[in-house]
Amino acid sequence: MSIECLVLGAGQDVGKSCVVATIGGRRVMFDCGVHLFCRGRSSYPEFDRILAASGATDFTAAISCVVITHSHLDHIGALPYFTEVCGYHGPIYMTYPTKALAPMMLEDYRKVMVDQQWEEGQYSYEDILRCLKKVIPLDLKQTIQVDKDLVIRAYYAGHVLGAAMIYAKVGDAAIVYTGDYNMTPDRHLGAAQIDRLKLDLLITESTYAKTTRDSRRAREREFLQAVHKCVSGGGKVLIPLFAVGRAQELCMLLDDYWERMNWKIPIYFSAGLTIQSNTYYKMLIGWTSQKIKDNYRAHNPFDFKHVCHFERSFINNPGPCVLFATPGMISNSGGFSFEVFKKWAPSEKNLVTLPGYCAPGSIGHKLMSGKPTRIEVDKDTHIDVRCQIHQLAFSPHTDSKGIMDLIEFLSPKHVILVHGEKPLMAFLKERVESELGMPCYYPANNESVSIPATKNLKMSATERFITSCAGEQTEDNLRKQKLICGSNMAEANTDRKLAEGILLMEKNKAVKILCEDELVQVLGMERHLVQNEPMVSSRTGAAGE
Amino acid sequence: MSNTKQPISNRLRSLPVASGGGLPSKTPTRRSPLPAGEAPPLPLLHQALHPPNPMGDPHLLSSAHPAAAAASARKHPGPIDERFSDPSPHITKRPRVAADAAATVGSAPYPEEEVRSLVIMAGGIYPLARAEALRGLAAVLEKAGTGCCDGAGIVECCYGCAVELMRDEDEGVRLAVVRLVGLCAQKFAARMDVDAKSDGDIMDLIFQQLSSMARDMCTKVRIEAFGALGKMQRVSDGVLLQSLSKKVIKTDTMSGTIIKGQKLPPKLKIPCAAGIFAHGIEDEFYQVRTAACTSLGALAKFSSQYAEKALDLLMDMMNDDTETVRLQTLQALFHMATYGYLSMQEKHMHMFLGLLVDANALIRNAARKILGLVNLPKLQMFKSAIDCLIASLEKNPEEQDIYGILFSIGKNHGSFSANIAKHLAKEIATASDGELILDRPRVKALIIVSISAPFSDDKHKKLDIPSIIFSHAISLLGKVSCALGEEVNQDSLLSYLCHKGGMPLWGNRSVSVEFGESESCKVETVEVGEQIENTAKATKCLDRVLVMQSVESILQTVEGAWTMRMSCDVCEARTILRTCKEELKVLAENSSGSIGAFLSFLCEYLDAIRLVVELWQLIQLDNSYTVGLTAPDILLEKLNISVRRMECCYAGLNRGLEVQVMELALLANLLGLSNIGACSKAVLSKLVWIINRLEGLCADGSCELSDFSREIKKTFEADHIGSALIRNIHTSVELFRLKPTTDFGALKAISGVLQVCDNNSENPQSYICGLPVGVSFNISLWNISSNHRLWLHMSIGESVQHTFLDFSSFEGDGEVKSGSMVVPLNTTPMAHSFVLRVCLIMECYGGISSNQERHGGPSDCVVQLSDELDVYFVSTGQR
Repeated sequence: MSIECLVLGAGQDVGKSCVVATIGGRRVMFDCGVHLFCRGRSSYPEFDRILAASGATDFTAAISCVVITHSHLDHIGALPYFTEVCGYHGPIYMTYPTKALAPMMLEDYRKVMVDQQWEEGQYSYEDILRCLKKVIPLDLKQTIQVDKDLVIRAYYAGHVLGAAMIYAKVGDAAIVYTGDYNMTPDRHLGAAQIDRLKLDLLITESTYAKTTRDSRRAREREFLQAVHKCVSGGGKVLIPLFAVGRAQELCMLLDDYWERMNWKIPIYFSAGLTIQSNTYYKMLIGWTSQKIKDNYRAHNPFDFKHVCHFERSFINNPGPCVLFATPGMISNSGGFSFEVFKKWAPSEKNLVTLPGYCAPGSIGHKLMSGKPTRIEVDKDTHIDVRCQIHQLAFSPHTDSKGIMDLIEFLSPKHVILVHGEKPLMAFLKERVESELGMPCYYPANNESVSIPATKNLKMSATERFITSCAGEQTEDNLRKQKLICGSNMAEANTDRKLAEGILLMEKNKAVKILCEDELVQVLGMERHLVQNEPMVSSRTGAAGE
Repeated sequence: MSNTKQPISNRLRSLPVASGGGLPSKTPTRRSPLPAGEAPPLPLLHQALHPPNPMGDPHLLSSAHPAAAAASARKHPGPIDERFSDPSPHITKRPRVAADAAATVGSAPYPEEEVRSLVIMAGGIYPLARAEALRGLAAVLEKAGTGCCDGAGIVECCYGCAVELMRDEDEGVRLAVVRLVGLCAQKFAARMDVDAKSDGDIMDLIFQQLSSMARDMCTKVRIEAFGALGKMQRVSDGVLLQSLSKKVIKTDTMSGTIIKGQKLPPKLKIPCAAGIFAHGIEDEFYQVRTAACTSLGALAKFSSQYAEKALDLLMDMMNDDTETVRLQTLQALFHMATYGYLSMQEKHMHMFLGLLVDANALIRNAARKILGLVNLPKLQMFKSAIDCLIASLEKNPEEQDIYGILFSIGKNHGSFSANIAKHLAKEIATASDGELILDRPRVKALIIVSISAPFSDDKHKKLDIPSIIFSHAISLLGKVSCALGEEVNQDSLLSYLCHKGGMPLWGNRSVSVEFGESESCKVETVEVGEQIENTAKATKCLDRVLVMQSVESILQTVEGAWTMRMSCDVCEARTILRTCKEELKVLAENSSGSIGAFLSFLCEYLDAIRLVVELWQLIQLDNSYTVGLTAPDILLEKLNISVRRMECCYAGLNRGLEVQVMELALLANLLGLSNIGACSKAVLSKLVWIINRLEGLCADGSCELSDFSREIKKTFEADHIGSALIRNIHTSVELFRLKPTTDFGALKAISGVLQVCDNNSENPQSYICGLPVGVSFNISLWNISSNHRLWLHMSIGESVQHTFLDFSSFEGDGEVKSGSMVVPLNTTPMAHSFVLRVCLIMECYGGISSNQERHGGPSDCVVQLSDELDVYFVSTGQR
C-alpha cells in the first residue's frame, strides 16, 4: 500500500492551496483555494487532473471528501466553483469558525471577480450559499468516520480563528495536513497543538522556510514604544489593518497597555471593523487563546474597555488618539484608511503603522520602500508625508524553527513541503533530511509524490515460540542481574532482546511465527541435513600455474 | 537475585550499617511503614528473607503484568521498596544462579535492586505503568546518597532509562521523564562538586535534552521542563547563550560527542536548546511563561554574558498580559540584581520606568526594589530614574518606602547623587523665600538623594555635599531616618545632620563624633550584610551563594578582630564580634537546611571566640587567684557550654569543623587551667583526650595540626603534671589562630522545640499541693537520631527533676519528629502557685565529660536543646 500525493496548488508557490492525497484507495482533497494574483480559471487548481489520476468520470466518485483547514481565500476560495460549477457533491468538512467566516470571505472575493470582470470561472452569491449548505462542521479533536475506512480529525493550528490541522487515517496509514499554522501564540490565538501521532506523511506549509524570527515580545515592545512616544507627544496613531485577526490582537495589546498606564486616550475602530468581526470573536471564544478562555466569563476581552465609539468627524478632533481603519495597505483608490492618512500624514507628531505585507502599488508599499516625503496620488493631488512610520512585523505563520519543531515532534516517516517559495523550500528540505533524517519532498504544482505506507499485519505465534522467547529473556535477565552490581548499573537499560523464529505465510495468507524445530512438523516434511565442505583453492597451486 | 544465599546473620549485620551510613534504607515499606531511621524489627526482616509465596522470577512477573504492577504502584505512591515486593526465588529452584550471586555480592545493595526492577517496569507497554516506574525511580534517586559509588551508578541508570522514554507517546510518561532527568542533573551536579570537573559535557547534554522537552505540546511537560532547566548547574556559556536565541549560534556544539562510549541519539545533534527561553516567554500558558521567567533569572548567576541577554528577554515580559507573569519577571530581575548580574541599559529604561508608574501597586513596589539594587551606568539614566520615582511619589503619596529606595539609589551612585546635590544646592540658593517648599515631594526626594552620597561605596572620591543640604535635611529628619532603616536612631542622626550642616545647634560635638565613629564602625561590619539584609526581608529566603559570600566576608572581619585583640584593643574586638554575630543571626534566620545549620554553628563559634577574648582580658588583668565564683569562672563555664554545644548539637560535623571545635575546646581547657592556676587530674585527662582526638583527626593528613596544638602537645609530653603548661600559657595562647572553614558539608542542627499545651500566666494549670501533677507537652525534634538521649529538665526554684524522654513513638521522618506526651511532675510545692521551668536537654557522649553518672538523672555533661519554658501552676484551692 502506498500514499499518493497529488499537489494541485501551493506546490513551490504560495496561493491556491490544494492537495489531493490518496490513502489506501480513498482520495481526500485538502483545501481548495484560489491564487490571488491570477484571474479567471488559472487562479483555480486544475481539478481535471484528479479525474485523470483516478480514472473516474465525476468528482463525487473520485473524491471521498474535501477538508478545508481555514477561511483564508487561498485555502477556500475555489470551493464554490468546485462544488457548484465542477459538480462535486460529496462531503465537505471545515471547522465551525471557518464555516462562519467563509461567507464573508467568499463574498469579498466574488466582488473582486465581478470588479475585474473575469471571463470565466465566476460563481454567484447563490453558489456560495448552496456550497456552504453542504458543509459538515468539525470540532477540534473530534474524530469523524467519513466512510468505512477513512477517519479524519482536526487539531488546533493557531494562524487564524478556526484554523485546523487535519489528521487523516485509512487503515494503518496516517497523514497530517497542516494547512497554515503558527507555533507561537499571540494575544488572541493559541499555538498549534497536536498529539504525538504515528505518521507516514506530514504535509506542512513552509511560508517562512528560512526565516527565524526573534521573540514576538520584542516586536510588541517596539510597537508599544512607538505608540507610547507618539501618544505622549500628543500625536495621533493610524493603524490601517484588515478586519479579522491582527486588528483584534493589536487592540488587545493596546487595551492592556492603556489599562496599565491608566490612560484615558481614546482608541477608535472605524465602522465595519468593530461590529462584524468582534462579534465572531465573542461567539467563538473556544477557539481563542488560553488566557481569553480563562478569563472571558469575568470579562470578555473583545469588549475592549478603552475603545470608544467613533464618528467620521472625529478625524479632525485635537489631541492624541489611536485609530484602527481598513483597508490594511492604504490603497490609492480610496477606503477609509486613505482618507485618514491624507489628513494625518502631514504632521510629524503622528504615527502610521504598516502591516507586514502591502501589495505593490499601494501607498503602504510606497511608504515601506524608502521614506518618501511626498506621495503623488494623482496628477493634481499629493500628500506631504512627515509623520512617523512604524513597520509591524507580526505574522500568523510559523517560522522555520517552528516548522522544524513540529516535524521533529511528530516524527513522520516522510515530509512534503507545500505553500512556500521554491528556493526556500529546497533549503528547508536539506535541513529536514540532514538534521532529522526524514525523506522530504517539495513537489511543484500538478506533480505527484508516492510514498510507501505502513501496513500492520496480524500474526499468530505458536505457543512454543512464546515460551522459548520468554525463557530466553528470563535467563538473560538473570545473567544481567549478576553483572549489575555497583558500577554496571547502566547496563540495565539495554535489555532489548532479539527473538529468533521463522515466519510462515500459509495459503490463506495468515502469517504465523514459529520455532525452528516446529517448522518441519508444520510442513510435514522430513528434516534433511546438508553439510558443506569449504573448498579453498590452494595458493601453491596458483603459483604453480 | 544478588542476595539470595547470603547468610542471614550477614544481612542482619549489614542492615544497621545501611541505615546509619550513606545507603538509604529508611524506605517506608509496603507492608509496614517503619519509623524512619530504625532498622526493621526482626520478624519483618525474616519475612522479607523468606517470603510466603514462592513465585518465580519477579522481573518476569513485573514485565508480564505491568498493569497489575502499575495498579499496585498507584496504590502506593512514593518509593517502593522492592525488597519486600520481590520475593527471592527459591534457592532450590535455581541453585546455579544463587551460587553465583553469593559469590559476587558482598553486602546487599538494595537500591540497585529497586532500580533494576523499576527500569524493567519502565519498559512495559502500559503508559501508566511506565510513568509510575519513572516516578518510583525518582523517589529512589531522591533518597540515594551521591557520595558513594553505588549512588552514582543509580543516577546513571535512572538517567539512561529516562532518556530512552523521552519521546514517549504518553504525556504522563514524558512528564515523569522530565522530573527524573531534572533530578539526575541535580545529582550529577552534586557529584561533580566532589569529583573533578570530569564531564561538564553531560550537563550541557542534559540541558539540551530538557530544552527539547520544553518544546513539548503538553503544557505540564513544558512547565516541568522549564522548572528543571532553572535548576541546572554548570552549563557551559555557549549552550546558555544558545538558549536565548532562536538563531543557531554554533553548529558544532554537540555533534559527535560521545559520552561514556554511548553515541548520542542523532536528534540531539541539532541544537535543541536554540531559543528555548524565547519560546518559553511567549508561551500560550501563563504557567509556562512564569516558569520560563524564573529559570531565566535563576541561570543568570552562571554567566554575565548570558545575564545581559536574558535581561532583554525579561524586559520584554513586562508587557505580558498576566499580572502573575509580570510579578514573577520582576522577581527574577530582583534575583539577578541581588547577584549583581543586572546591568540595566538605556534601552531598558523606557520599559522599566514605566513600571514605576504602573497602575498596580505590587508591580510598582517590586520595580522599586529592583531599582534600589541596580547599578545605572549613566547620569542620564540615574536622573530619569529619580524623576520617575518622584513622579510615582507625586501620584501615590502614600508610598513612603520610595524615600528608602531613593536613599539606596543615591548611595549606590555616589558621584551622581553628588551631582544632584550640587544642582539642588544651587536651586536652594537661588530660590527666594517661600518658593522652595520643602513639602514638595520633589525637593524632599532630591534632598534624600543628596545626603545619601556620603554613605556611598566609592569613598576614594571626595564627595563634598554642600552643607546647606544637610541643614535642609534636618527638617526631614523623620523621612531620612525612615529611609535609613532601623540602623540608626533619630537622635544620633539629628546630631550628625547638624554637625554636617555646620550648625552649632546641638553643639554637643562628642555626640556627633560618636555617631560618626559608630557609623564608620558599623559601615565596616554592617555594610556587608546590609544589602543582603534588605533583600532578606523581601525574599525571606536567601540564596546559598549569596549567603556564603557574606559569611566569608564576616569571617574575614572576625579574623581581623582576633588580631585586633593582640593589640589589646579588646573592647573594639568585642563589639565587632558581637555585630558579626548579629549579622550571622539575621542570615541564619532566613536560611534553612545545612546552610542554616552552619550559620547557627558559626554564631556559636563567634560566641565562643568572644568569650575567649573577654576571658583572656580578665586573666591578663587579674593574676591573683581568688576563691569562689568569679567573673572568669562564669565566663569559663559559658565558654565550656558553648564548646559543648558546638560539639554535640550538630550532626554531620566534617573533619575541618571538628578540628576547629577541638582546638577551641583545647583553648577553653587551657584557659580553665590558667584560671585555677593548678592542674586538676580531670582537666589534664581532658586535655590528653582532646590532643589525642586532634591527632586522630589529622592523622590521615587531610588537616594539619596547628602550631597551637602542636606546641601544647610538646609541652605536655615533656611534663605530664602540666606545670610547664601553666607557665607557658601565654605563649601558647598567642599561638592560637582563628581559621574558620566555610566548608560545612551536610551539617545538620540538632534542636528541639518544647511547647506546653494550653498554659500561660493568665491560664495556669491547677494542682493539689504535694501531689504529683501531669503536664502535657508538644515536642518537636530536629535531626535527632535514636541513639541520642534526651531528658526533660524541670525545675522549681532549686529543686530539679529530670525525666527521660522516650521519643520512639514520635511521628515524622529523619529530619523532624514530633509528638505530644504527658510528663508527671512528681512533687509539687506547698504553695499557692508556682512556676515550673522546663527545657529539653541532651546528654553529651564524648571524651570531655567526666562521666559521673548521677543517680537516675542524666550525666552531668549535657547541652540544652530548647529554650526554657515557663509553666504556670496554681493550687486548686486558689482557683
